[in-house]
Amino acid sequence: MEIFLQQLVNGVVLGSIYALVALGYTLVYGIMGLINFAHGDVVMIGAMVTLTVARLLSNSGLPGPLIVLLGLLAAVPTCMATGYLIERIAYRPLRNAPRLAPLITAIGVSILLQNLAMMIWGREYLSFPQIIPSHAFSFFGASISTTQSIIVIGSGVMMVCLSFLVKKTKLGNAMRATSQNPEVATLMGVEVNTVISLTFILGSALAAIAGMMVSAYYGIAHYDMGFMLGLKAFTAAVLGGIGNIEGAVLGGLLLGIIESMGAGYLGTLTGGVMGSNYQDVFAFFVLILVLVLRPSGLLGERVGERP
Amino acid sequence: MKLLEVKNLHVSYDGIKAVKGIDLHLEKGEIVALIGANGAGKSTTLRAICGITPMHSGKILLEGMDIGKIPPHHLVKHGIALVPEGRGLFGRSSVEENLLMGAYSRRDREIKADLEKIYALFPRLAERRKQASGTLSGGEQQMVSLGRALMTKPRLLFLDEPSMGLAPIMVQKIFEIIRTVASGGVTLLLVEQNARIALSMSTRGYVMESGNIILSGASSMLLDNPQVKAAYLGQ
Ligand SMILES: Nc1ncnc2c1ncn2[C@@H]1O[C@H](COP(=O)(O)OP(=O)(O)OP(=O)(O)O)[C@@H](O)[C@H]1O
Ligand SMILES: [Mg+2]
Repeated sequence: MEIFLQQLVNGVVLGSIYALVALGYTLVYGIMGLINFAHGDVVMIGAMVTLTVARLLSNSGLPGPLIVLLGLLAAVPTCMATGYLIERIAYRPLRNAPRLAPLITAIGVSILLQNLAMMIWGREYLSFPQIIPSHAFSFFGASISTTQSIIVIGSGVMMVCLSFLVKKTKLGNAMRATSQNPEVATLMGVEVNTVISLTFILGSALAAIAGMMVSAYYGIAHYDMGFMLGLKAFTAAVLGGIGNIEGAVLGGLLLGIIESMGAGYLGTLTGGVMGSNYQDVFAFFVLILVLVLRPSGLLGERVGERP
Repeated sequence: MKLLEVKNLHVSYDGIKAVKGIDLHLEKGEIVALIGANGAGKSTTLRAICGITPMHSGKILLEGMDIGKIPPHHLVKHGIALVPEGRGLFGRSSVEENLLMGAYSRRDREIKADLEKIYALFPRLAERRKQASGTLSGGEQQMVSLGRALMTKPRLLFLDEPSMGLAPIMVQKIFEIIRTVASGGVTLLLVEQNARIALSMSTRGYVMESGNIILSGASSMLLDNPQVKAAYLGQ
């Protein structure tokens, strides 16, 4: 029971991060039907920037949480700019091209970002300095650290804000109109290019926050960390129903919990044949199951008509 | 001064000419019909005037002002609205969300009042305001599209085949509303395959054939024209 609870806690924390990243996939897919495979690499950049700031300031005497916050303040604009440029340079010229072209371009952008990161930060695993004090409290026998609760609460707040933005604001109206019929949205006065740029910028800001969380919580960052993370978050988005905001959150949390439970029990279930290092298998098993059984995802609606 | 003047408009798709140098104009308060067979270039003409299909060359003047180079999303502020072919609804959004999108560029305080006016015009829509517009019947969808265009407060309204796919009774109803709209002072350019109804409610008409305007004049005259009778009125 204690293992169960502990793995549940770990799963919710991991799932919160997946959900934040999945939101980036879902926002962009929702608005232009594009799977931005470079999104995971934007998370990586967020992680790298936060980590770099943390290393630079680790002996400054500033309190750890403040350093992480400063790292985030650097990571968010960096990622926003990256997201903006990706759309502007790589995707916009292909707006009216066949679907396959932007997809292949997305993979190209991903490789480009990884190589850029390798040139800047090297091929080594970089470790996050030990600057965050670790308090933990006990919850029915499972331990929850302050960092973990901040991740879960922080993600939750971001998700509520995003949901408000998309459902209740003028920008949100423009986003929803653009996603359903960009031409008619234009006739109503929506500047579609701006809305698409803002969508990328928004998704990238969430990616920066997720990157900060990953590097500070798992204590490590690497130039190709965005690949696996991106693939899992994409799985989460598909699981929940890609294009659907609540779906991304649900999919992220479920995937986090499934993985974490899997890692906790796989060894016992298989008599030690498969250990927790098989954790990654779950995500793709889930992806395949969803694609076969319910391609529209748990909360996915019928795909809306496109002009 | 003419409200709208289109001069020598050319539009092509990937090098294929769809509109080949047409001229047309609208006086304030007129209802003008634009008729023609499938593929004649009627929709392309409207789309080019509204800026959503780029024109190749030509001039589009709104009260003498060249609007051909204005970014398309600004045209709504100049009072131009289109009820597009196939209605162009935001299908997953509710009726009310669609109507309110029409007021997206407005900053005035009359939006709520105008919404109620639309519901008064289309009581059916009031009953279904929360329903996803994609699930409405064809006639109701056309009402939403028309209502949404009216929410922009247009001076100049382009209607692209509002009768398409509707039962005769619904066609009557939609055209009744269109007449009401016109009597409120909105200038209309009506594209229709149903030439009889378009010519019977308009003052003037243009006949388009493979990218050119081949005939124009008073609608009553066009209704009597043997060529029009044979080609578009089935007589
Ligand atoms: N997006 C497009 N790409 C390429 N060709 C197009 C496109 N849209 C229209 N065309 C072509 O341009 C010509 C004019 O089409 P348009 O839609 O303007 O005709 P229309 O008069 O509105 O016909 P209908 O009554 O069938 O709506 C046609 O030959 C059509 O095939
Ligand atoms: Mg047409």
